Amino acid sequence: MSAVTELLQQVVEGLGSGAVYASLALALVLIHRFTGIVNFAQGELAMLSTYVAWQLVASGMPFWLALPVTLAVSFAGGMLVERIVIRPVQGAPELTVVIVTVGLFIFVNALAGLIWSFTVKDFPQPFPDGGIDLAGVRTDWSTLGILGVVAVVMGLLYLLFQHTSVGLTMRAVACNPASARLSGIRVGRVLMLGWGLAATVGAVSGVLVAPVLFLEPNMMGGVLIYAFAAATLGGFDSPVGAVVGGVFVGVAETLTGAYVDVIGADLKVGVPLMIILAVLLVRPQGLFGRAAVERA
Amino acid sequence: MPSTRAHAGADFLNVSNLHAGYGQARVLQGLDLSVARGEVCAILGPNGAGKTTTLRALCGMVRGRGSVTLDGTELLGRSPEQAARLGVAHVPEGRGTFNDLTVEENLRVGAHLRTGPRRRGRAERAAVAADLERVHGYFPVLRRRSRQAAGSLSGGEQQMLAIGRALMLRPALLLLDEPSLGLAPLVTRELFEIVRAVNEEERTTVVVVEQNAQLALDIAHRAHVLEAGRLVLSGPAAQIREDGQVAEVYLGVSVRSRKAG
Amino acid sequence: MNNVTASLAADRTRQLRAAPTVLLAVAAVAAPFYFAPFQVFQLTMVLLYAVALAGLNLLVGFGGQISLGHGAFFAAGAYSTAVMLDRYDTGHLATLPVAAAGCFLLGLGFGVPALRLRGLYLALVTLSFAVFLPPLLKRLEPVTGGSMGLTVDKMQPPAWSGLAEDQWMYFVVLAVASAALLLARNLLRSRVGRALRAVRDNEGAAEVMGVRLSLHKTLAFAWSAMFAGVAGCLYTWVIGFVSPDSFSFVLSITLLAGLVVGGLASLYGPLLGAAFVMYVPSVSQDLSEAAPGVVFGLLIITVMFVAPTGLAGLPGRVLGAVGRRLPRTTAIPDRTPEAASAPDAEPRPTAAPGFSPTPAPADPAVADAEPVGAPPRTTEKE
Repeated sequence: MSAVTELLQQVVEGLGSGAVYASLALALVLIHRFTGIVNFAQGELAMLSTYVAWQLVASGMPFWLALPVTLAVSFAGGMLVERIVIRPVQGAPELTVVIVTVGLFIFVNALAGLIWSFTVKDFPQPFPDGGIDLAGVRTDWSTLGILGVVAVVMGLLYLLFQHTSVGLTMRAVACNPASARLSGIRVGRVLMLGWGLAATVGAVSGVLVAPVLFLEPNMMGGVLIYAFAAATLGGFDSPVGAVVGGVFVGVAETLTGAYVDVIGADLKVGVPLMIILAVLLVRPQGLFGRAAVERA
Repeated sequence: MPSTRAHAGADFLNVSNLHAGYGQARVLQGLDLSVARGEVCAILGPNGAGKTTTLRALCGMVRGRGSVTLDGTELLGRSPEQAARLGVAHVPEGRGTFNDLTVEENLRVGAHLRTGPRRRGRAERAAVAADLERVHGYFPVLRRRSRQAAGSLSGGEQQMLAIGRALMLRPALLLLDEPSLGLAPLVTRELFEIVRAVNEEERTTVVVVEQNAQLALDIAHRAHVLEAGRLVLSGPAAQIREDGQVAEVYLGVSVRSRKAG
Repeated sequence: MNNVTASLAADRTRQLRAAPTVLLAVAAVAAPFYFAPFQVFQLTMVLLYAVALAGLNLLVGFGGQISLGHGAFFAAGAYSTAVMLDRYDTGHLATLPVAAAGCFLLGLGFGVPALRLRGLYLALVTLSFAVFLPPLLKRLEPVTGGSMGLTVDKMQPPAWSGLAEDQWMYFVVLAVASAALLLARNLLRSRVGRALRAVRDNEGAAEVMGVRLSLHKTLAFAWSAMFAGVAGCLYTWVIGFVSPDSFSFVLSITLLAGLVVGGLASLYGPLLGAAFVMYVPSVSQDLSEAAPGVVFGLLIITVMFVAPTGLAGLPGRVLGAVGRRLPRTTAIPDRTPEAASAPDAEPRPTAAPGFSPTPAPADPAVADAEPVGAPPRTTEKE
C-alpha cells in the first residue's frame, strides 16, 4: 500500500467519525442559536436516546423501525427538557445555566446507569459488512452509511429552516426573540421545538457511533469534546460551520492518531483540545461565525 | 387649565390609572388617556417622561397595573404574543428587524399569525400575497430589496421594514416608538407621510411616540404630553401646535414653576 | 443618638457573628474524639474539598470565570506530592509548599490564555482539558506510574501526640484548611478581592476606574490553582494513593457543582459545598451504583431553581424575600417566555439586573455576611 493510498484510507475513516461529530456539533449549535446556551448535557441526551434505540432493538424491533421511533422519542424528550429544566433559568446568568446543564449531564448519565447498568452493551451495526474498494482505498459500507444518514439529516434540516413557515418562525426567534414575540410568535413553543430538534439530531450521532464505541453511559463524553471542537471551529452560530468543523475534526483526529507518534491512539482526545484552543486564540468566532459571537 | 381628561365617548383605546416601570424604577404613576378609533395620536414629552414605557405596557413588554382596554378588551396582563393576537402591532425603538432574514422573510414573519400551523389554506396564502403587495405599495423600496438581508439595509429602510412587518399583522392598533430615531430629516418626513397614508387608507389607529414634536403633530389628530409619568396636557394636535405652552412643557423649561404657580 | 444605636447594634452584630465561628471551632476540635474513624476520615475529606472549593470560589464566585477543569490542578497537586514522596522520599511536610508553589505557577500559566476566553468558552476549554488529563497521566508512565498509579506512605502520627492515624490526619488537614480559608478570606478583603469583585460586576467600569484587569484575572487563576493544588497535596497525604482515574473530569464537574450548591461568593459556601460533595455520594451510594449521580444531578438543578445563591445564601434570600413583599415590583425579564411571566410568578432573582456572570449577591456586603448575620441589614431608613 503506497503512502498516498494509506493517507486517503485514513481520510476516509476520518470522514466517518467526522460525520458523527458534525451531527452532535449541529445539535449544540442549534441550541446555542436559539438560546445562547452551550448545552453540556447534549452528549448525554444522545446517549440516553441510544439506549432507547438499544432497548427497542433488544425487544425485537428491526433497527430501521427502531430508529424513527427513537428519533421521535428524542424529539419529545428534548422538548420536555427545555420546558422543565431550561425554561426556569432562561435569562439567568450564564453560570447558572452552565451549572444546570452540568447537573443535567450528571443526572442523565447516572439515570442511564441506573436503568441499564454500567456494563458495556453491544449495539447492532445497522449497515452490512464489507465495503467498496476504489483505487486501493477501502470504504466500509458503515462509513458510507453514516455519511449518508448524516447527509439526509442535514438536508431535512435545511428544508425545514429554509422552506417551511415553522422554520421561518424558528429562524426569526433565533435572530430576535423580542421582535418575534411582538409578531405574535409563541417564543416558548419555538424554543421547545428547537430543543426537540437538537435532541433528535444528537440522537442520530449517538445511534451511529454506538456500534463503534459500544454502548455504555460514558460513551458520549469523549464525543462531546470533539463536537465542542467542531462547533468552535465552525463557529457556534453556524450550522454549516458545525458540519464542516465536524468533518475537519474527524479527519484531523484520525490523521494525527496515525501519523504523529507522540499522540497515538490514547492521546487523540488532545486533538480537539488543541483545535479549540487554537481557534479561540486566533479566530474566536470560528470559520463561519459572525464576529460578535459572544452574547452578553 | 388644559383638560387632563381625554375626550369622552366610545374610545377605541382606553388607558386609565396605568402604573408601570422597571424593577424599582416606577415610571408611570397613574396615566390616563384615550384614543379614538381611526385616530393618529402623538405622545410627546421630555426624556424619561414615560412615553416608551407607555407603549411597552400597551403591547405587554412591560407589566403594568391599572387598566388598558382595546375595543373593550383588557390588554394588561397579556404577553406580547397575546397582545399581537388582539391586533396590537408594536414597532419598537431601534426597529427590531430580523437582521439575518431577508426583507421578504421579515414581512412573512409579520404575517405569522395568519400562516401558523393551523391555517395554511390557499385563501390564506393569497391573502398574505395581497398583504405583501399592499406593503410594497406603501414602501416600494422593500420590493426592490426583497431578497436582501434586513441587516444590510440602511436605517431608513430598516424602519420602513419594521413598519411594513407590523402592517402584515393587519393591526387594529399600530404603536410606533421613536420612528425618527437616527434617521435623516428627509427620510423621516417620507416615513411620516406613509404613516399618514396608512392611517387614511386603512383607518388603522396609530399611537406614535416621538421626540420630534413638530413632525408628529403634523400627522397626528390628537396629542398627549407626558411629564414624569403623568399626563399634563392633551388636545387636538392643531391646537397644541399653536399653543405656546407645548414648547414650554416639551422643552421642560418652566414646567415646575407652572405647577407651583 | 442614631449613631449610638447604630454602634450598639454593630457591637451586637459582631458578637452574633462571632458566636457561630467559635461554636464551629469548638466542634471542629472535639469532632475526632467523638466520631468513629471512618466518620473522622469523611470529615477530613470535607475539609480537604473545602480548600479546593475555596480556591475555585476565588475564581468563579469572585472572579466570574467559569472553570470546569479545576480537578486538573487538584491532580497536579496530588501527583506532585506523590512523586516527591515516591521518588525523592522528601517527607510529607516538604511536599506542601512545592505543590502550592507549583500549582500557583501552573495557574499563572493558564491564566494568561484564559484572559482571552470569556464565559462559556473558558468552561469549554477547561472541561476539555479535564477530559484530556487522565490519558495524559497514563501516558507519562515513567513519572506517574501510568494507569496503576502511585502508592505512597500516609502521614503517620508522631508518638508524642497519642492520636490515632485518622485523628492525626484530621488535625493536620484542619490546620491547613483553616489557614487556607483564612487566607482566602483575607485575599478577598484585600485590594485584590475588591478589584476582583469590581471586575466581575462590571468589567468595563472596573477597567475605566483603573483596575488592572488582566493582572487581577490572571492572579485569580493562580491563587485558585494554588488552593486546588494544596487540596490535592492533602489528598495524597490522606489517601496515600493516586491514579489517573481518581482525577477524571467528573471530579472537576463535581467541584464546580459543589461550590455552586454550597454558595458562590460566600465564605461559608465552600464548606457547605464540600460537605455536599462528600456526603451526597456516600449517603446515596447505599442505594445503587448510579444513585449518587441521580441524586447529585437532581439536587444541583433544584438548588439552581430555588436558591441560585446556594445553600449559604438561603437565609439571606428568605429574609430578602420577606422584605420585598412590601413594595411591588413590576419588571419582567426580557427573554422570559410566556409561562414565566404569568402574573403570579415572583420576580425571579436569577434574572436580576446587571449581567454579572454569577448568581445574585451583587452586593458584596451580603456576600461577606455569614448566614446568621442577616438581621443587622435591617437598618431603618425612614
